Parts: sequence; C-alpha cells; structure tokens
Amino acid sequence: MNGPVRRIAIGVFTSFCALLLAVTWIQVVHADALKADPRNARPALSERGKERGLIVTIDGIVVAESVVDPLDPRTFVRTYPEGEAFAHIVGYNSFILGNSGLENAYASILRSKRDLTISDLVSVLLGRDLRPHSLEMTVNGSLQRAAYEALAGQTGAVLALDPKTGAVLAAVSSPSFDPESLLGDDASTVWDSLLADPESPLSDRATRELFAPGSTFKTVVTATALDTGEADPETEFPDPVEYELEGSTGTISNFDGGFCNGGNPVTLLVAFIRSCNTIFADLSVRLGAEDIGITASALGFNTDLTFPWTVPQATYPVDDLIDDPAALAQSGIGERDVRATPLHMAMVAAAVANQGLVPSPYLVSRVFDADGNVLEAPEPAPIGRAMAPATASVLAQMMEQVVTNGTGRNATVPDVRVAGKTGTAEGAGDGPHAWFIGFAPVENPTIAIAVLIAGGGDFGESATGGAVAAPIAADLISLWLRGTP
Amino acid sequence: MTRNAEGATVVAAAVLAAFGVTLVNFAREQSIDAQTALTFLVFLIAFGGVHLAVRTWAPRATPLLIAPITALTALGFIEIYRLDPVKAGLQRWWMLIASGAAIAVLALFARSSTTILRRYRNITLLIALILLLLPNLPTDWGFPLKGLVVNGSRLWIVLDMGFTTLQFQPAELAKLGFVIYVAAYLADHQKALREARRHLGPIRFPEPRQLIPLVVTWVVSILILISQRDLGASLLLFAGFVLLLYAATGTAGYLVAGGFMAAAAGVASYYMFDHVQRRVIAWLTPFQHFDDEGYQIAQGLFGMGTGSLSGAGPGLGRPDLIPNASTDFIFAAVGEELGFAGTVSVLALFSLVIAVGLGISFRSRDMFRKLLAAGLTFVFAVQTFLIIGGVVRVVPLTGITLPFMSYGGSALVGNLILIALLLRISHEEAT
Repeated sequence: MNGPVRRIAIGVFTSFCALLLAVTWIQVVHADALKADPRNARPALSERGKERGLIVTIDGIVVAESVVDPLDPRTFVRTYPEGEAFAHIVGYNSFILGNSGLENAYASILRSKRDLTISDLVSVLLGRDLRPHSLEMTVNGSLQRAAYEALAGQTGAVLALDPKTGAVLAAVSSPSFDPESLLGDDASTVWDSLLADPESPLSDRATRELFAPGSTFKTVVTATALDTGEADPETEFPDPVEYELEGSTGTISNFDGGFCNGGNPVTLLVAFIRSCNTIFADLSVRLGAEDIGITASALGFNTDLTFPWTVPQATYPVDDLIDDPAALAQSGIGERDVRATPLHMAMVAAAVANQGLVPSPYLVSRVFDADGNVLEAPEPAPIGRAMAPATASVLAQMMEQVVTNGTGRNATVPDVRVAGKTGTAEGAGDGPHAWFIGFAPVENPTIAIAVLIAGGGDFGESATGGAVAAPIAADLISLWLRGTP
Repeated sequence: MTRNAEGATVVAAAVLAAFGVTLVNFAREQSIDAQTALTFLVFLIAFGGVHLAVRTWAPRATPLLIAPITALTALGFIEIYRLDPVKAGLQRWWMLIASGAAIAVLALFARSSTTILRRYRNITLLIALILLLLPNLPTDWGFPLKGLVVNGSRLWIVLDMGFTTLQFQPAELAKLGFVIYVAAYLADHQKALREARRHLGPIRFPEPRQLIPLVVTWVVSILILISQRDLGASLLLFAGFVLLLYAATGTAGYLVAGGFMAAAAGVASYYMFDHVQRRVIAWLTPFQHFDDEGYQIAQGLFGMGTGSLSGAGPGLGRPDLIPNASTDFIFAAVGEELGFAGTVSVLALFSLVIAVGLGISFRSRDMFRKLLAAGLTFVFAVQTFLIIGGVVRVVPLTGITLPFMSYGGSALVGNLILIALLLRISHEEAT
C-alpha cells in the first residue's frame, strides 16, 4: 500500500519545489524589476514622511528642507521655500509622481538610511551615520531669483555659468510650477493640469529643451574662421542684398532685408556686430561643414554632457551638410537643423571667456553629512579646448563691439565691459526665439550667460535678441558684478 | 526530538509571535503595549494545552507536528496583527477555541481508538452533509443558529449568543467528515476497486462500474462550483478524493481518469463561468490587467518582490495594499515583510507537516488509519499547494485559506482537529 503513497509524496514534494522555484524567481531573481515597476507604489510610499537632506544654494538660501509634520510629529514633510524659481533644477520628491531634478539625481544621498531594518541596527552599532546627507548647489540664490523675475512669466530661460569652472550660477526656466503642489494626495490631478497647460510649465527650457540658436551660432562660425585662418576681423566680403542658395531657388537675406554695408565690401568684424546673414552664409560655405563641426563638437555639440540629468544633444549635423551647400549656408546662421539648449549656448560664451577652454558645467558644489563635514566637492576638469587662446581673445573683442556698436547695445552695463552676441531664430510659436549670449567683464570674466525668450515673449513677432533678451542679460550681469540691476 | 523539546519549541514559537507583535507595534506606533504579553499567553495556553493533551492522551505520538504548526500560526499571526489588530484579537480567541477542540478530540479517543470512526462512517457522512447544508438556514428566524450570506455566497452560519455572535464556515469541518468517510469506504472496498483488468497501453483501467464513486464525487464537486462558486473547495474535494483512491488501490487508471475529468470540467467551466475566466486571465497576465482582474495578484507579486531577501520588516512593508491580504494572500504578506527568508521558512514548515503526515500513513499497519492519515495529509497538502501556488502564479488563484496562517476561525478549528487526528493515529500506530 505504501507504493502509491510514496509516489504521491514524490508528486507533492515536486509541486512544492515548483512553489520554491516560483518564490525564488519572484523574491530573488526578478525582485528588482518588481520593485522598480512604476505601478508598484511601495518604494515611494516607504520614502514618504521620512527626513531628507537639505538643499542650499552657495549663498546659503535653503531651497529644499524636510520639516516635522505638524499633524504627525513622527514624520516629515518636504518644503521648497523658494518655489517656482528653483522648481526645474531642485525638482520634487513626490510619493505619487516619484522624484525629479536634483531630488532625483541625488536621491540616494538625500534620503535617510534609517529604515528600521536589522541591517540598520547593525550599522548603528558599528557607529555608522544613517542621517540623510545634504547638498550645496553652485547656484547663486539671488541671481536665480532675479533671473526668474526678469523673465516675468514669459516663455524662456536663463542659464549663467562661471566661465572658468563651469559652476552653474543660475538655471531658470519660465513659466514654472510650485513643486509643493505635487507632493500631496492630489498630485496626479495637479500634474495633469500642468501637462495640459499650453505654456508647458513642466518643461525645463534651460537644460532640457532644444531651440534653434539663430545668430548666436555665428560665434561658432567666427571662431572656426579665425582658428583655421580662413578669415580675420578685417577680411573683406562682398555684400549682396541676398545670398543665393546653391542648388536651390531660395535665398538668405539680412534681418531688415537690406544690404549689410550699403553694397560695399564689408569686413568680418562689421558683419559680426551687425549680424549679417548674407556674409555668414557665404563664410559658412567657404569654411565647410567639417571644420565648423570640429569647433561645434568641441563646444559640446553632438556629444553627451555630464550633468545631474540627461541633457539632450545639441546638434550641428555635419554629415547632412557636407553635400548640401544650401543647408550648410542656413546652418551657418543657426537655423535649419542646428539646435542647442541655453546651457549649450552659455558654454559657447564661457569658452570664449575662458580663452578657448570649454568648462564642464556642474550644479552641485558640495555634499555634506549631517554634521556638516564635506564628503564630496567636485571640481570637474574642462571638457576640452574649442579654439586657440588668440582666437578666443580676438572673438571676445568682436563680441564686446557687438555690445558697444552692434545689435547688442541693450546689454550695456555702465562701467562694465560686456561682450555678447544676439540671435533671433525662427520660432515655432507666435514669434521668433530671441537670444543673447555673452560674458563680463571682458578683462577678467566671472559670468557667462545665455538668455532665451522663446516664441517672442511679450514682444511677439517683433521680438529680437537685442530688444528682448539683451536687457535681461544686462540686468543680471549688473546684479552679479555690482550688486544692483 | 523528544516531547520536552516539543514543549520548548511551543514556548519558542510563542516568543516568536510575541516578538513579532512587539516589532509591529514599535514600527507603527513606536510603543509597546499589552498585546505582546497577551499574544505570548494565548499561544502558550493554546498550543501548550495541545502539547499537554498529547502528553496525557497520546504520549507515543510524533513530537514533530505541534512544533511546525505553532510556528506557522505564529508567522501568520504576526501578519494578521500587522494588517488588522482587531482581527488578530478575534484570531486569538479562535486559537483558544480551536486548541480546545483539538484537546477534546484527543480526549475523546483516549479510551477508544480512531478505528471507531470506520464504524460510524455513515453517521460521519450525514453530519458532514448537514454541516454543508447549515448555511442554507434562514437568515432571519428566531433560532440562535442562522445562515449568513457573505459576498453573495452561502458559506457561513452565525451563532447568535445574545451578547455576541460567532461566525463559522461549517465546510471546514465537513471536509474532515468527508475524508473520514472516504477512508472508511476505501478501506472496505479496496480489494474490489483494485481489480483493474482493462488495459490501455501500460496503464490498467478499472471496470466502468468501479468508476461510480469517482463520477459521484466529480458531480458533487461540479455542484459545489456551480452553487457556491467556490473553485477552491471544489478542486480540493476532487483532488483529495482521487489521490486517496489511487493510494488505496495503486491503480494509476484512477489518476488518469480523474485528471481527464478534472480537465474536462475545468475547460467547460472556463467557457461557462466568467468568474473562472477572470481567474485565468489574472493568472496568465496579471500586469496587463493591473487595473481590474490582475490587481490582486500583481500587488501580491509587487509586495513579495519589494520584500526581496530579508523583507521590509514586521510593520514596515505595505501588505495592506494587497486585497484580502490577511486571508488568501497571507503568504504574500509574509513575503513582503519577512522576505524570502520568511517564505522559504513557511514552505519548509509546511513540507515538514506533510512529510510527517505521510510518514504516519507509511508506518500504519491498519488500513483505515493508513488511509485516514494519508487522506488528511493529502487534503492539507493540496490546500496549501493551491493557495500558495495561486499567490506565486504556479496555478490560477482559487481563493482558499492557507492552513494555520490565514485569518479565519473555522479553518483554524478544522485544521487543528486534523492535526489532532494525525497525532492520535501516530500514537495508536507507534510500537
């Protein structure tokens, strides 16, 4: 009689081995995937109510802080005292939506390790510190606030860098949102209404959105011309009223539709400070896509940047332009398929200010433990050299003349030597993208800046970089160098 | 393992339960209250009581059964307490009642022997049938014993004692009655049923008329599925019967025939009942149907996956996100808070109970006791496999309770009586 019972026993224990295998699959092999599934609320819920580290600006303004929940003193609520001005870079820590910005990029540093598990108990006994760590941003709080106010609700962005180190001094995107509105139980509703907003306040236009750089890209073309010896500031170019695109019936004309210099031969310097499209289309074709591409790539185009989050690649599509002189001419004035974020364009200005060396942009200056000891103080090395020091100093003088005698007069700051370049690119919205990139003071630059008003801002179709973006840059440079706008 | 070691493990399991309750309290309220002492005392009284009853009335019984079931009850109780302290308080009362029932069973057979059940098999069957039909009592008459409708199914009775009411699922006891009856029936007719002269390839098949008991059970299982919408009970009854029939006769033809009949009924019910269809959809594609059918299984998997190796810790996971976590999904709750370590321990403890139960059957010389021990263990094993397998997606979810771990008094009473019978058989067959 025991024969059948024995065979059933074998069957039963084989079935139990199947259960053991299934449990092993779920809890060991596949566990991380189950944990990471976005529909699994547990990881976010376990973070809810826990203390997180501070985030402060380099001038000591608290931008993210966990405070004791008055309703439940055992838990914490996250507050963002600076609200909208810092929303895109600081991000949020929402138990429904997850993390974004620095809250996401530095999540493992900012979170408390105090999970009440056995391994925590062991860590405490071993004297390890389970309290959350804190971050200090490179951002200057006053400059950031001023930049957000200067944009005044217009669609746009400001990005300021220390041209020598690459430290981000300000990174503002407008319009913005209140990060604290995404922390509660109604986060999904708020999120949906922000997504539906036609001005897309959730978009980070400073570091995570690409725009046609327009004439600001002429700095890249000029750097290539100076570096290769193809031209110097006094090299003369013919001045047609229109540049005829090769292999196409289209033409490129200047901003006002007229000559650059009354039809007389025009120097590169004059073409640059007047931002003449005809001359730069011509120069671009003379230089060729490959040489411009080398300078652009060295400035951070066509490459991935190291940043706390993924920055989209700025593009100068060399391969598409080699056999397409029409597209090459249009690309020389920052149109066609040339795209960059304000971060990239600030890097271009910083490279000119930094004698040709391209600094690596960074956002976090120091990581502290709960006792204030510095754990990390990154100082990233420059990305590389984009132009010879001599080229950079000549280009800096040309950019200074843009502000003194050219399209960038509105960027003038009394008693400060400002260098810059305007840009007015064809936008997708109601008006053009108005740009200004620049740095100051020219003799020893401490700030490089890119200002973008997308779609014309309050000026609509009549917006230009010089009229709309340059005054904002002037105010911020003035604030930075002299303490008043 | 000696009887004294068994006593020590009972104390250890009581400490485990009390420690778990303390951790839950500490994690949730950061305070420690009387629940710790209360839990320790109830475990000690309930399972210590069974232990003492075995010492008195079944001293030669195996010492390997009370230890694992106490540990399983403790692990389940920690999660029940974590999910709902009120239910846990009720479950403590049920532990006392269930252990009282187990002690009563041990005392009942002290002077006689379990073999008397063979003589009273027809009465046992009658009692089992009455128990099954009890939930059909009127729900609103004057008599204190009433039927009760829960979620549209009539599985419950209510004993209204004036000061309080007691709910009970009589099917949990009826299950034992059926096993006793079938074991007695097969012990009587075993020789006749074993004669299988028809061959189909290498497998011998019995005469068609010998298949009548199998067909009757099959029809009853289907009726349970239709009338009570209880897929689990239906499968449990049929699988337990087929396995016991095979154990009694050694005729593989019964297994094959039973397998085909179950498959046919399964396929037919898939097309006929959408509650069966939903179960199959949830089993095969829980994540694609996360918002409806698959939600419970997906949440269970998320919980176990998040628990990973060591678990979140008692009171620190979110098993409350899993629907029915304290009953059908108690295994997932253990997996979430006690981790892989907890689930493997649970599987090992269940395997131990089943191995000991089959061992008792192995060593039994009396045919009835051999079949009774085997049948009780089969039912226990199939039930455990079906519900854990449903939670970890080895089989479709059938919605039955996990013995000793799920919240529920009737199941605890039924399973403790089952263990008491196994202990008694073990005592009677010990040399």
